[in-house]
Amino acid sequence: MKFKTYLAKTSVAFATMALSANIAYAACATDNLPSAQPKPDGFPARALTMIVPYGPAGGSGQVASGMAKAVSELTGISINRSHKPGGSGTVGMIAFMAMPADGYTVLEHIDDASSAHALDSSKPNPASDLIPLVTSQITFSQIYMRVGDTRFNDWDSFVKWIKAQNGRATIANVSKEGSMERVTMKFITDATGMKIQQISFDKGAPRYGALVGGQVDALFEQPGDVRTFLDAGIFKPILTILKTRPSAFADVPSLTDAGLDFDPLYRFRGFYVHKDAPADRVKWLQWAFQKGFCQPSYQKFNDSKYMNLIESYRDTAGTRELITTTIDQYREVYKTMGLKVK
Amino acid sequence: MDAFNNFLTGTVTLFSDPMGVLIFFSGVIGGMLFGAIPGVSMLTLAAILLPFTAHLSPEHGIMLFSVIYCTGVYGGAITAILFNIPGAPENAPTAFDGYPMTLKGQAGKAVGAAVMCSAIGGTVSCIIMMLATAPIANWAISAFGPPEIFALVFFGLAVASSVGARTFWKGWLSILAGLLIAVVGLDPVGGIERFDFEMPYLLAGIHFIPTILGFFAVSEIFAQAEKKARGSFIAPKMSVDFPSLAELLAHKWAVIRSIVIGFFCGILPGIGATLAAFMGYNEAVRWSKTPWEFGKGKLEGVISSETANNAATGAAMIPLLALGLPGGALTAMMVGVFQMHDMEPGPLVFINSADLVWVVFSAMFFANISILFIGYIETKTIINLLRIPFQYLAPMILLLATVGAYAVRGLTIDILVMFLAGVIGFFLRRSGYSVAGIVLGLILGKIGEQTFAQAMQMLHFEWSGFLDRPIALGLLIAGLVALLGSIYGAFFKKKRIQPPMA
Repeated sequence: MKFKTYLAKTSVAFATMALSANIAYAACATDNLPSAQPKPDGFPARALTMIVPYGPAGGSGQVASGMAKAVSELTGISINRSHKPGGSGTVGMIAFMAMPADGYTVLEHIDDASSAHALDSSKPNPASDLIPLVTSQITFSQIYMRVGDTRFNDWDSFVKWIKAQNGRATIANVSKEGSMERVTMKFITDATGMKIQQISFDKGAPRYGALVGGQVDALFEQPGDVRTFLDAGIFKPILTILKTRPSAFADVPSLTDAGLDFDPLYRFRGFYVHKDAPADRVKWLQWAFQKGFCQPSYQKFNDSKYMNLIESYRDTAGTRELITTTIDQYREVYKTMGLKVK
Repeated sequence: MDAFNNFLTGTVTLFSDPMGVLIFFSGVIGGMLFGAIPGVSMLTLAAILLPFTAHLSPEHGIMLFSVIYCTGVYGGAITAILFNIPGAPENAPTAFDGYPMTLKGQAGKAVGAAVMCSAIGGTVSCIIMMLATAPIANWAISAFGPPEIFALVFFGLAVASSVGARTFWKGWLSILAGLLIAVVGLDPVGGIERFDFEMPYLLAGIHFIPTILGFFAVSEIFAQAEKKARGSFIAPKMSVDFPSLAELLAHKWAVIRSIVIGFFCGILPGIGATLAAFMGYNEAVRWSKTPWEFGKGKLEGVISSETANNAATGAAMIPLLALGLPGGALTAMMVGVFQMHDMEPGPLVFINSADLVWVVFSAMFFANISILFIGYIETKTIINLLRIPFQYLAPMILLLATVGAYAVRGLTIDILVMFLAGVIGFFLRRSGYSVAGIVLGLILGKIGEQTFAQAMQMLHFEWSGFLDRPIALGLLIAGLVALLGSIYGAFFKKKRIQPPMA
């Protein structure tokens, strides 16, 4: 009963969020911004530093590279990326907070920062302890099976087969209790009544290799990260974790089609600056990063990662709303999961 | 035939690309140079180069490291023979007879044997690798899940436990120290924070690259400095005098035996060239009609050790590429090169990046051939480089190592870890503990903990699940037998080969 109340509340929030996103979006979201912006007192007079709390190879590393390139193309200002992986993004966040709040250092971060704050409020809240410059990627998740697997071939037969295994079926997932993946899987298993063992793989390749080699029965992932396998016909999506079917996956059932009544959680990545940075510098950075989103090179990059299927852009206010809603949503779920929220 | 065609394609791709050729020869010469300079090793070069490989293409970056691996293992033999300072742990058994040969004025013959046998061992290993990797990779993708990889890690640790250490117990204590260091930071499953001592940067864990730099490069500089201060440094007599064909043929069985041992050891993740060299040397002693001559300057000792450790290089690429499991410190760094290019070594490399794999295979083949020619010339050059006064060489090495340690993650704590490991390594070497064991424990500990957690999830937290997986069960039993055998040996066998370094 409590869970249903929660669903009702969050669905309103997400509908509002989606509406505001649509209003903000035109042909490209930031076409209405000026093509040039005067530098406040000569800022930036030197290269910017972008702290990336993950390695250069993963999704965060790639989006940081793509945005740095776009902003440099637009402004002529170099951006040096400093990768500080470790601690599920904690180390990068700490390193960023220790830097001078002069606007020369920006941070790339993902929704993990929001879920971390939701679980432990002593950790920085990206909506209030930082100033969001832009959210440049928002994507959804899917459940994948191995092409050629004869035990099931679609969502319905998958659920039927999983239930017959009585809790012994497996799905490759990302580790860490309270993560977006774990929470979403709880939604799915609660709604379908199936039991499935989640196997934690914190790196992509072993996770995908586990499905290719038949070590696990299914995979939870975002489509952009497994596009190679989809294009090669190795993986097949059997459920899209969205209310409606995106055009690129028109033949894959959505949550509504599958009779799953919950609001999806999203993976989102964006860029931030310290909250004490001078206001005029923040304004210039907001322009540069929001305008950078619409640079052809960045749009091409986002397209290659299936980031054009739902609106990926949020400005500062939109990002704050996204984060705040997400934090509230996670906290509600954590309570139902019995996790201790600090 | 497919393998031959792929090899030809890889060779053409490698040598038709000017940048590829430049990187290939830079790797060949760099690996030999760093392997041969006392105080540094191929690991030092690899650690320094690691962050810069982000600016190379994946083919160039991984090819560079594989070439450095082949030639660096050989290069380390020169210092082992001339100065009794193995360039790396896998060259330690080479020093057992190589250095006495130098003292007897036969340094040229020992270095010549090392050149020829390294080339032979490495080339044969490469050919087997090219023929066997694809079938092994296809089989591995379905046969090796987390339970099997965990069992492999256990087996690797059990077999390697006393390598490089003076006693079995010191070997295991070294491994356990490495395993303990590996658990610093977030746990790999639930993200629980552990052993950070309220230092948030420790949440990122202790990285093996600054640890390796500290244990190998920094502690070696400290040890050299002490020797200089005490005046115990002995200038070697040098000449390059290859062994005759007759001498080589007289040791043909030692070469063949060491190739087999080296390849088998190399194929086992976490074992690699170090165990290969020790086992190659041990077996040479065991099969010899004059075992008492070993350790006093016997050519067969150098031949056995150097053939085996280079034979392990090609084999070590199989678990790395097929399973994503590094066999030693340098292959572990190769994982970093892969990751910098949005790739993970493992079965999918053969699906997604077959071209890259064959360029690397071709480069390794020709790197081993190059040892014969460039090694001969370079050995003479090395002697001149060693004339650089230590007081100038040591600060340069320390500076490079510091840059290498920081560049991995951009964290100052990595520099502190490196110097701390240097100091600890300096004292551990004297007391018979194995710094190689600590590094192996650190590297395999991270893999082992993660795969153990995944295995238990897959097996629904039932230990009996291992019984249903024959490969995992076999490896666990083999590891247990190796462990019990080592314990038996520690209690009942007095004669052990004493390595000159940890």
